[in-house]
Amino acid sequence: MMLFLGHGPKRHFMIMIMDERRLDVAEDLILELKGITKIFPGVKALDQVHFQLRRGEIHALMGENGAGKSTFIKVITGVHAAEEGEMILEGSQVHFRGPRDAQEAGIAAVYQHPTSYPTLSVTENIFMGHEDVKSGMIQWRGMHARAQKLLDSLDADFKPTDEVGSLTIAQQQMVEIAKALSADAKIIILDEPTAALTANESEKLYEIVEKLRDEGRSIIFISHRFEDMYRLASRVTVFRDSRYIGTYDVDQISNADLIKAMVGREITDMYPKEEIKLGDEIFRVEGMTRTGYFKDVSFDVRAGEIVGLTGLVGAGRTETIESICGITKPDQGKIYLEGKELTVRKPQDAMNAGIILLPEDRQKQGLILSWGLGRNVTLPIQGELSKNGFNDEKKERDIAKERLEEVDTKAVTIFQPASSLSGGNQQKVVVAKALAQSNMKVVIMDEPTKGIDVGAKKEIYEIMGQLAKKGFGIIMISSEMPEIIGMADRIFVMCAGHVSGCLDRSEVTQERILELSMEKSGDRKGGKAS
Amino acid sequence: MAGKSGREISAMPEGGLKSKLLSWEGALVLILVGVNILGVSISPNYNITNVLREMPRYLAEIFMMFGMGYILVLGDIDISVGALVCLSGTVTVLSSNAGAPFFAAVLICLLTGLIGGMLNGFIATRFTELPTMIVTLGTQIIFRGIAEVLFETWGNGGGTASMADTKGLMLLAKKIGPFPISFFCVILVGIVMITVLAKTTFGRKLYAIGSNKTAAYYAGIEVEKIRFICYSLLGLLSGLCALFLLTATFGSNTTTGQGFEMEVIAMCVFGGIATTGGKGNLIGGFIAAFIIVCLRIALGQRNINTQLILVIIGLMLIISVLVPSISSALSANKKKKAA
Repeated sequence: MMLFLGHGPKRHFMIMIMDERRLDVAEDLILELKGITKIFPGVKALDQVHFQLRRGEIHALMGENGAGKSTFIKVITGVHAAEEGEMILEGSQVHFRGPRDAQEAGIAAVYQHPTSYPTLSVTENIFMGHEDVKSGMIQWRGMHARAQKLLDSLDADFKPTDEVGSLTIAQQQMVEIAKALSADAKIIILDEPTAALTANESEKLYEIVEKLRDEGRSIIFISHRFEDMYRLASRVTVFRDSRYIGTYDVDQISNADLIKAMVGREITDMYPKEEIKLGDEIFRVEGMTRTGYFKDVSFDVRAGEIVGLTGLVGAGRTETIESICGITKPDQGKIYLEGKELTVRKPQDAMNAGIILLPEDRQKQGLILSWGLGRNVTLPIQGELSKNGFNDEKKERDIAKERLEEVDTKAVTIFQPASSLSGGNQQKVVVAKALAQSNMKVVIMDEPTKGIDVGAKKEIYEIMGQLAKKGFGIIMISSEMPEIIGMADRIFVMCAGHVSGCLDRSEVTQERILELSMEKSGDRKGGKAS
Repeated sequence: MAGKSGREISAMPEGGLKSKLLSWEGALVLILVGVNILGVSISPNYNITNVLREMPRYLAEIFMMFGMGYILVLGDIDISVGALVCLSGTVTVLSSNAGAPFFAAVLICLLTGLIGGMLNGFIATRFTELPTMIVTLGTQIIFRGIAEVLFETWGNGGGTASMADTKGLMLLAKKIGPFPISFFCVILVGIVMITVLAKTTFGRKLYAIGSNKTAAYYAGIEVEKIRFICYSLLGLLSGLCALFLLTATFGSNTTTGQGFEMEVIAMCVFGGIATTGGKGNLIGGFIAAFIIVCLRIALGQRNINTQLILVIIGLMLIISVLVPSISSALSANKKKKAA
């Protein structure tokens, strides 16, 4: 491609690049993409990007949200056709007219939230589209047996006859991997697979991915988590603003350099934690219990304090918080706000008292995606602003504008739908929505940086810091150890539905959190194997 | 406090006259005009006096359209309202024939509708896992069943009952100038219902629930309470519909109100309200209702077979639902060509 663009001395230069490429071919490339450009109406989603995948390597693809990773994957899997550029698979140029072509060429993708058929069985999902049929009849027994074999090879703990909808996300991803294996995929793309997994589940996924690599398959791994990349990948390619930035050997690039490549600027001090003089206790829960979910949970928050609540997914963190906020009903437990006991029966009780929740799933629980940003921000307070039940649209617009600017949302107008923003900016809208509630005293943030990029993460941390400075009590639920260690004054660790310990900022380490997160062997005979 | 980047976000509402004219409501007004031109050109009797004379029996349905609009915006559906009209009408006729004074009969009519709606609301909000289509299919059968039992027990048999004392109904059937009373009532109820949906916090909550029930709940909206209110309101309006239907029919039988639920849903959908919830407004439904009413009157005057009218209305409905997808396909094509 570039070759034809060159003239005079430049052409010479291009040919030199050509030669380098030839060397690369010698190192056994299974997939190569050159000069890929993809244009959507009004936007260049990919601008002359390159990518090289060696046979049997795990290659990380990193970049901020909106960098073009997902679009790039869709080009590889045949969902999108690129306007420019070429794709070379095992030495010969290929053109995919649709996803089916890519599948037949041995390329499979596994997504963060598997797009499977939840009401069908594992076997049906694995063989969807290429069932084993003899004289018009589906050969169930044979297919179940083949599915069992695939699941065994992945060390899966569920049956081929299980309904996919009843499995955990980690297990559903395993089904997708099994599906890729059933088609004997040579290239497997994993799109943010660990985002919704617990530490244990991630570890298991790592092992599977390594096993796939050892079988000679090539893997493209997209993730926002640096630990994923360090654990698995040998090389990493970085995209930024729809452009190719570079490909690096993982053991030769420093974390800071990698972040700089991704963000385009240096991020010093990822966790802007300031020393704030803590005030009096502002919030306390005592003996919260909901049978089957959590038991006897107690903790307290002081004004200006950031309290971390961590533990493995499934430890009951979100469930506890939801009961505190009146979303579910606890069996027992007392809530004190500024020393006074508070009765919370429904969400608006907590909100009226000034306990504001930023829910974990911003797309389902936090925002109405089809609505404009402004309406989202003022949804909880429209009643306060109204005059005799009529909406005060002017006042709503002013407040929405002010709050959205305060959290520095990357938006053009308050009327654009929330679905038009990236994950990080959507999270900022959720924060703006909380800020609009002027009676706020305690903010509960459930996984506030889940699935958002480094730059946006830092901005969320900064907002948290500002809120603490203003004397709010902050409860932060997170599975990401670095952020919880970086931001929290005290960390309550939950394990199997109860608080297993509280660590002060001065004494906290990853190891101690992990230790408290895991069930002790005494708690349950034959506990965790790992 | 502005953000650190100092980025400004516009809060100026867009739109204006042009976008209003280009909206679906604008198109509906044009269609309404077109239907009336059609009416005048195909029938010599199609004039304002005749149209208004034939209107009352169709107008009654429009009351329910407003309530149904609320239910659809919530993302729910209620297919029991036709049967509820039958039940309310029957109870009214029978109680009047049993000697109840007219104002009591009116009260009974509205109350029967309200209780029916509350029953729907109770089941739909208490057992949220049930699809409302099935819940209201059940109550539809129940309402009509009760009406039939009432005919058997207290009526003169034959599944039909006529109002013996029609003085009160005649009063309601009166006209002010050329306009029937029900016309003013529809306009009045319409203005209230349209304004509540478009301008109040209550209306906004309906859109929130219809767009994302979970997010609405997390934002502190009493989702189930509001759903209950809307079902009850639709029930009350069904009672109102039954009452005004009686001013045209002076009686009730087992087929009264049959198919009303579908016609009312059709008016809403034709008016641009999505059955998936959270989209559309009642102004569209209001205009669409009059389009359908005028079309029926015009075609009816030409003695066109009722079934054929249904076919035409059905076709119109499908085309109206297809318009957004057709226009988006066209604009996508245009863009492709331009690119």
